[in-house]
Amino acid sequence: MGRRDRAAAVVLLVFGVIALEEARKLRFGTIARPGPGFFPVVLAAAFCIVCAALVLTAVRSGSAPGAIDGGRKMIAAMAALFVYAFVLEPAGFVAATFALLLFFFRALERQRWIPALAGSFATAFVTYLVFKVWLRVQLPAGPWSG
Amino acid sequence: MELLQGLAYGLSVSLQPGNLLACFVGVFVGTLIGVLPGIGPVATMSLLLPITFTMSPTASIIMMAGIYYGAMYGGSTTSILVNIPGEAASVVTCIDGYQMARQGRAGAALGIAAIGSFIAGTFSVLCIMLLAPPLTSIALRFGPPEIFGLLLLGFTMVTYLTAGSKLKAVAMALLGMLLGTIGLDPISASPRFTYGSVTLGDGLGLVPIIMGLFGVSEVLLNIGQGVSQEVFQTRIKGLLPTRDDWKRSAAPIARGSVLGFLLGILPGIGAIIPTFISYALEKRLARDPSRFGKGAIEGVAGPEAANNAATGGSMIPLLTLGFAPNVVMAVLLGAFLIHGVQPGPLLIKEHPEIFWGVVASMYVGNAMLLVLNLPLIGLWVQLLRVPYGILFPMILLFCVIGVYSEHGNLWDIIVMLAFGVIGLLMKRFGFEAAPLVLAFVLGRMAEESIRQSLLMSSGSFAILMTRPIATTFIAAAFLIVVLPIVLPPVRRLLGAVPPDDTT
Repeated sequence: MGRRDRAAAVVLLVFGVIALEEARKLRFGTIARPGPGFFPVVLAAAFCIVCAALVLTAVRSGSAPGAIDGGRKMIAAMAALFVYAFVLEPAGFVAATFALLLFFFRALERQRWIPALAGSFATAFVTYLVFKVWLRVQLPAGPWSG
Repeated sequence: MELLQGLAYGLSVSLQPGNLLACFVGVFVGTLIGVLPGIGPVATMSLLLPITFTMSPTASIIMMAGIYYGAMYGGSTTSILVNIPGEAASVVTCIDGYQMARQGRAGAALGIAAIGSFIAGTFSVLCIMLLAPPLTSIALRFGPPEIFGLLLLGFTMVTYLTAGSKLKAVAMALLGMLLGTIGLDPISASPRFTYGSVTLGDGLGLVPIIMGLFGVSEVLLNIGQGVSQEVFQTRIKGLLPTRDDWKRSAAPIARGSVLGFLLGILPGIGAIIPTFISYALEKRLARDPSRFGKGAIEGVAGPEAANNAATGGSMIPLLTLGFAPNVVMAVLLGAFLIHGVQPGPLLIKEHPEIFWGVVASMYVGNAMLLVLNLPLIGLWVQLLRVPYGILFPMILLFCVIGVYSEHGNLWDIIVMLAFGVIGLLMKRFGFEAAPLVLAFVLGRMAEESIRQSLLMSSGSFAILMTRPIATTFIAAAFLIVVLPIVLPPVRRLLGAVPPDDTT
């Protein structure tokens, strides 16, 4: 497991180095008159040092972080959410939410068609009413609800 | 006298119909999410943040605070009945509370948890009223070096009190501050890391980050692992503790209240650590420690009092200094700022209705919670029977709505989902989210205070070591780092501290 830990630390270190390079493009100012780049540069440098230390210690530590089970279901749920985010505005809240919930209920939870359809529609519609009409929260209306 | 006037004024504010309703909604929602596993007060408070736009600042803060201490009550219910802490601060309650339930004493356990919480909540409200005004006058003397010293102490404590790797916690705190620098520079207002994007110009939003790290990633984890739901099949009877229960619980409740409140004030502690310390303390003081773990009522009474008192204690730095000592307070700070109110030393003077109204509402809310949690316990137990397959799509949907509705910006949903994935990876590799979020919120304050300090001293860091208050903070931070290395007993004590998981 030490190897995976180290891989994670290396990824963070790479991010830190990029952040440091980007931060150095900002005006650093002087210690007496610190500019916008002062704080990010110090932070990014410290971050790189800590990550480097993590890379080194990961080799020694044998601690195995708990594996996450059910990866496929998680990835499916995550992918559905990303798709949802992109179709939300073109399709409108009710239609997109209906499709998302149907996917969750039917594909992930394997419920029967009728309760899945009814549950998805009812939830999408009721949340729309509660949030948009009652609480006046902004939600994308989409082409069908005017 | 001033205190009584303040209290009377606060009660009159908190009893106004709108504020009373806000308080009720807060504690109700708090109990609800405390009972439900997989969503905690941090995610819920950020979720409801957009809804408070249309409310008065007083009502919003009252509601937000209600969610927090309401969750403390609700969390203990699941610990006792299902052996699953609905709320991380109730982990300890599982140990003896669930054993009591198995022995048919679920009622007494629930009763003492609610009553102990009520006593502790009341105690901490009184302490806030006594302590906040004098602390405010001290806080008024704080300049940038003092604030920087306090922040340094806060970050040190947050990272040293995490259960996992300290180095990882430091990395997360630095990462959080780095993410916080995206957007406009607080002093010169020049853009940083925005790459010409208008959305990035405003910086990353706190709500999407929190919802991602604490909401989405938690739900995803539960989807993957499956949540076991085995409600203890027993009729709950006898909610009122017996005289013997009272005799055993009185002292633990008193000790838990004081301990929780004092620890709660300190940065980085939160409501979870005091419960563990209270449990250890009661076990040590008990005449027969072997009863612990087998249904000792002291093991429920003490920690439950401690977590409620700690929620009150952690309000102190926020109300007097404008400093968020933990993630929950960071969200509350966000709620203040949304309404254009800066909490801090001037709060009592400039917005007495908020200060006294919120403090008094906590008292009112604690009374409401007693009613909500004792006679209505059956309702919450029913909720535990809702299958997670129905629950999780709803939680995810509310996360999406909450994040989108803040600015009506699709980008915020993407940020939330991205942080959901990041949060999952962080859990996988043993990185904690709390230091990241706290640093993200406080980073701006840290940057402003250090840059202003350096301007004041024309570039000499000695300014941090020549002012007594600032020096004290920095010395304390230094001791926290050095003491565990020098003194093994201190290290053991810190090593016994549980994961600071605020979800």
